[in-house]
Amino acid sequence: MVQLVVFQLAGETYGVDINHVHEIIRLQPITEVPRTPDFIEGVINLRGRIIPVIDLHKRFGLPPAEATNNTRIMVVEVGGMTVGMIVDAVSEVLRLPEENIEPPPPIIKGVDVAYLKGVGKWEDKLIILLDLDRVLKENEQEELKQGFGPEVAAV
Amino acid sequence: MNEFDMSQYLSLFLDEAEEQLQQLDEAIVLLEQEPNNRELLNKIFRIAHTLKGSSASMGFEKMATLTHRMESVLDFLRQGKLVVTPAIVDLLLACLDKLKELKDGVSQGHEGEVDIEALVRRLEEVSSKERDEDSSPPPSLDRPLELDDVEENVIRAAEVRGWRAYEIKVELEPDCRMKGARAFLVFNNLKDLGEIIKSEPHTQELEAEKFENSFRLAFVTKEDADTIANVIKSISEIKEVFVRPIVLEEDRRPLPDTSSEPDASKSPVVGEPYPKRDVERRVTQTVRVDVQRLEALMNLVGELVIDRTRLAEISTNLRNRLGNEELVEALDEISMHIGRITSELQEEIMKARMFPIDQVFNRFPRMVRDLAHKAGKEIEFIVEGRETELDRTVIEEIGDPLIHLLRNAIDHGIEPPEERVRLGKPRHGTIILKAFHQENQIVITVQDDGRGMDPEVLKQRAVERGIITPEVAARLSKREALDLIFLPGFSTSERVTDVSGRGVGMDIVKAHLEKINGSIDIKTTPGAGTCFTIKLPLTLAINRSLLVTLGEQVYALPLANVVEIIEVEPHQVRRVQQQEVVVVRGQVLPLMHLAKALGIKRDCSFTGNKAAVVIVGLAEKRVGFIVDTLIGEQEIVIKSLGNYIGKIPGIAGATIMGDGRVALILDVHSLLSLLETEAQGALAS
Repeated sequence: MVQLVVFQLAGETYGVDINHVHEIIRLQPITEVPRTPDFIEGVINLRGRIIPVIDLHKRFGLPPAEATNNTRIMVVEVGGMTVGMIVDAVSEVLRLPEENIEPPPPIIKGVDVAYLKGVGKWEDKLIILLDLDRVLKENEQEELKQGFGPEVAAV
Repeated sequence: MNEFDMSQYLSLFLDEAEEQLQQLDEAIVLLEQEPNNRELLNKIFRIAHTLKGSSASMGFEKMATLTHRMESVLDFLRQGKLVVTPAIVDLLLACLDKLKELKDGVSQGHEGEVDIEALVRRLEEVSSKERDEDSSPPPSLDRPLELDDVEENVIRAAEVRGWRAYEIKVELEPDCRMKGARAFLVFNNLKDLGEIIKSEPHTQELEAEKFENSFRLAFVTKEDADTIANVIKSISEIKEVFVRPIVLEEDRRPLPDTSSEPDASKSPVVGEPYPKRDVERRVTQTVRVDVQRLEALMNLVGELVIDRTRLAEISTNLRNRLGNEELVEALDEISMHIGRITSELQEEIMKARMFPIDQVFNRFPRMVRDLAHKAGKEIEFIVEGRETELDRTVIEEIGDPLIHLLRNAIDHGIEPPEERVRLGKPRHGTIILKAFHQENQIVITVQDDGRGMDPEVLKQRAVERGIITPEVAARLSKREALDLIFLPGFSTSERVTDVSGRGVGMDIVKAHLEKINGSIDIKTTPGAGTCFTIKLPLTLAINRSLLVTLGEQVYALPLANVVEIIEVEPHQVRRVQQQEVVVVRGQVLPLMHLAKALGIKRDCSFTGNKAAVVIVGLAEKRVGFIVDTLIGEQEIVIKSLGNYIGKIPGIAGATIMGDGRVALILDVHSLLSLLETEAQGALAS
């Protein structure tokens, strides 16, 4: 059994392993950090800790969404890094049997397959399982560096 | 012993060994200059001896063997049977290096792989030379007190409690009438201080006055040797008291300097005061605390500082809303009190994190000596202000830059002896390393009386290396020419040694110092020498900043970099080429909107009535940043933006403000250098 935190992003249902989820908080004022890639919204104060916040829409190149009353920051911890991720809504916590999880199909709407662990079936829903390690780490450094180039040049 | 878990003693042993090796290092280097300093020799002997004892008891055979051999040589030196020669000093230093290697091995768990045979043989050769001439061991007045296993165990147990064992020898006046009573009084007085675990002769014989004029005791106590001696000396008809620590080990060589010293017995007080006592006294009054714990405390205080600010803010808001109500008054009072206590707490913890800079300085005499030898220079190295204290975080960072500066002074600054003589300078060069406090900063200077630097030569060299064009060189002022040495790829030495002159160095020094908000300045006179002045903040964890806003966001500018705040009206702004400038007291000041400097996309045009301009300064550079509003000055706790975001040019970190929001802290060094490169880029395109 896998325990998942299930959330909504641009009309799709996603899930991440609950072990990575530190806490879920309401959207709060975010301090922008200049010269960072677009998807880094900035930093927040989480009880005395400075936590970076990324916008998953921008991270995955999904259409942007207005903040609503349901918008949440999901604080996750992966590989010693604590990062907040803006999602449209957090719906529930699920227990999903391993056999219900399949490898990601080659083409899926929205997110790049590289960031996926698989797809879980729950009742009639499909839950896209994110590989947080990859979402946060892989390409990240690259994109951060690439993010610099044009920004710096634009000044 | 094997039943004990040694691991808990290991880190203590390593810490102490580190300290002892460092002391040895300094002392041996000094010995080379003062070969006849007996006190120094004694000190070296003692440290080596302690190290031998502790390494043996920890079961590190090689360390023990090596220190044991060193000790034999040192003993001969001490007794004047061998003379201190450069060869012997070199040998001792080589041993030290080996010991350090062994110690490092121990900390990584493989003492066994280091080879000490060669050194041990050399040490033996040196000591056997002496032995041939005088094979009889020096007559010792005192053999150490014989202790059996039980007694040794008592001592060990006492040592675990932080007590120490001493051997006490009491000599009564020759015409003492009531020897038994005197002995009883000695026992009685000592009972208050600790525990007598053995007496020689036995107590019954003492009581029966069946002894000559002296008796010996083994005594464990928390007190030091002086106190013991004084207590005994307060009894009448006591002629002499000797106190020396008992060191448990396989061969139980008596510690030197006590009653076996001929001149010590003349002294009416005690046998030579046991020199390690200073250290001991410190041990009893201090606690070794894990650095992590101090860091954690500092973090907590940081949180408290933030909350203090919040509390003050809330109480102000309440007052505005409710007026002078009783509850508001009470809250105000509490808030003030908490504020004061927090400040004190902060200060105390900052102090707890302070170390004397000697921690860094103490390894330099040896290094300078070795480098000078290698470079064939004669150098007198003077260190001042060793006791100057600064924050641990700063201490960690300052070592490497100083090494570079010292190496440069030795390799490039100080001339070879012959050249100095020809120039009419003293044959040996002088390097002075000095540290002191100035206002809220630490100043460290490295000064040499060598050949100095000629700005023209520097310019020429930079042109040769293709770092700057001849046209640029011609425009540079003297000062700017000196700053050329901080450029990557610049090296002024023709010769390449193994430590400096590889074209790296000064740029790294500068980068390192800027990383910790430090600055470096050069003063030089061709032919007379160079002085580098480093200025460092006292701590890196907390600083005073000027808070400004850009739109909704608050930014903190470290006050150390803020020169002045002015108001500028649009008509005062001029344009020079692409650059907006304003003239302040006759000086042209480049002007830029802070938002633009940070790369924030927004309207940065300056149309309003007046604009607040913060003039920041870095060495000679001045730039005026236009900001939206000024909030004020505040003490802020610096927090990192974390690994995920990493290092952003122009941003030093973030802090949490009174209202809980996050403000970014500007890094003026990197911001200015970023702007400079961008300006150059713009010119190039």
